[in-house]
Amino acid sequence: MRLAVPTSRPLSRLTETRLLFWVAAITVTGFFTVALALGQGLDGNAFIVPTAFLVIAFVVHAALAMRGLRGDQIMLPVSLGLTGIGLIVIYRVTAGTDAASLLTLQLAWFVVAMAAFLLPLFVPRDLSLLSRYKYTWMTFGLLLLVATVVRGEEINGARIWFRLGPLSFTPWELVKIVLVVFLAAYLDEYREVIASRRGIWRVLPPPPYLVPIVAMAFAAMFILAFEKDIGATLVFFGIFLAMLYLGTGRATYVVAGVAILIPAAYVVYRLYAHVQLRVEMWQNPWQDALGSGYQILHGLFSLGNGGLLGAGLGAGDPQSIPVVWSDFVFAAFAEETGFIGALALLAMYLVLLYRGFSIAIAAPTTFLQLLAAGLTFVIGMQTLVIVAGNAKLIPLTGITLPFVAYGGSSLVTNFLSIGLLLRISAESRT
Amino acid sequence: MPEVTFAVALWALRLLFLALVYGLLLQSIGSLQRALGRAPAVAERGLAYLVVAQAPPDAHRRGERFPLRAVNAIGRDPGNDVVLRDDFSSARHAVVSQDAEGWWVEDIGSTNGTFLNGDRVIHRTVLHFGDEIEAGRVRLRFEHA
Repeated sequence: MRLAVPTSRPLSRLTETRLLFWVAAITVTGFFTVALALGQGLDGNAFIVPTAFLVIAFVVHAALAMRGLRGDQIMLPVSLGLTGIGLIVIYRVTAGTDAASLLTLQLAWFVVAMAAFLLPLFVPRDLSLLSRYKYTWMTFGLLLLVATVVRGEEINGARIWFRLGPLSFTPWELVKIVLVVFLAAYLDEYREVIASRRGIWRVLPPPPYLVPIVAMAFAAMFILAFEKDIGATLVFFGIFLAMLYLGTGRATYVVAGVAILIPAAYVVYRLYAHVQLRVEMWQNPWQDALGSGYQILHGLFSLGNGGLLGAGLGAGDPQSIPVVWSDFVFAAFAEETGFIGALALLAMYLVLLYRGFSIAIAAPTTFLQLLAAGLTFVIGMQTLVIVAGNAKLIPLTGITLPFVAYGGSSLVTNFLSIGLLLRISAESRT
Repeated sequence: MPEVTFAVALWALRLLFLALVYGLLLQSIGSLQRALGRAPAVAERGLAYLVVAQAPPDAHRRGERFPLRAVNAIGRDPGNDVVLRDDFSSARHAVVSQDAEGWWVEDIGSTNGTFLNGDRVIHRTVLHFGDEIEAGRVRLRFEHA
């Protein structure tokens, strides 16, 4: 039987092995330092979590090598490095508090995430499976969103949580990937018609080809408006515009999209009190410094306390920020490692983005190019939105910092993206 | 005294942690840079290739690969698909093209002529993989994709 993934001789992923040893060193040193600084023992979580994390990481790496998988060897170690840093930060801010169980939960999610990562690499079916059943995937995505509206739970003003037994997850995370797949497949099929100016007023493409995209965009926006999650809506809109631009090369779409976004944003702002609150807290967090402005102010204190070199791992005060592990991991890491550490963290995202776009450029078909570029864009956009939110550059939203922040569904879908990107890069080498 | 040693050790560990983060970063950027040299960009993939077999040392590196499309103009002018950096070749020197019957080479009025495996190309001539085309002082080998 012919395997869809090109293979080379086994055990040839030495770059990945080498980079993984750096990841191991970072994780072990980080946990050790935090445990010493906090006066926690080296038994318990400080020992078990990094060990389990690294064992799983190396097992996954060995599985790739035994599979004889070619292609990218940088994305996995860099994303694992970010995950390791995330575990260190979560350990740092939850150790000794009643949120300490989050660390083991995140580790459990990491196991699921690794399974999601391996899925596209070990399923022998061709990736055109994704483009052929694009309407099925999209229906599935919309159903997920509808299910959240009907059965979801509201936390912090946003109805995005879905509870299954003890685990709660945000279906929205998965819908992002589904959306990228759908748009890549649709634009691959109709990009020339959509890029043409032969339809309405000789400016827009013929309506029949625009209807599916516009309808789908509005359906998803409408549902997201019900879920009251502005961050997710923003990322969704960004994906939509970026994919249209990548597929057609027409900046008109981006300009028109932003022109629609501004009045839409104003309407949402008028309609929802919690959106107004977010914007007010962004403009002036001091007006309610002990109430709704508390979180953002303490995030800013943390960033300021970090300074150039940082307060030192375990020596800062990041746990004063409410829900620091999901919304403010960037601020927490920046406080304890300073500008220098924050710079390194952002540079690691830059490596991921650079690599993702190179994979897109080298991909063998238009669909795979659009898919790789879209998946990379999602990671970049989320990083931008949440880091800017932490720094009070834009209003804070509930987007998670990819790989680092606490959050199971986010970790799983981000590693699924990395798995897909690796698969695309394995198919693109001639 | 032990407290001081502990504090110093802790700070050493913190600095080590930062150094390791930068280590991973620099190592991955290094690997990125090396991978870039190996990976063929999409623009470089062609239906077939012309590979430089021999050239003046300052003009072309031996082994330089030109990806071919269905029709390829060869010559010194930068508007050509295959740009030769050699004064002995003409601005518009030759054309290599593909049709239903296969690949062809044609001289388009060059001053010093086009040679296929040593013989001067007068009419449009069929090309086989492994053939060598000479234009000016540059010799190009026609290779399978």
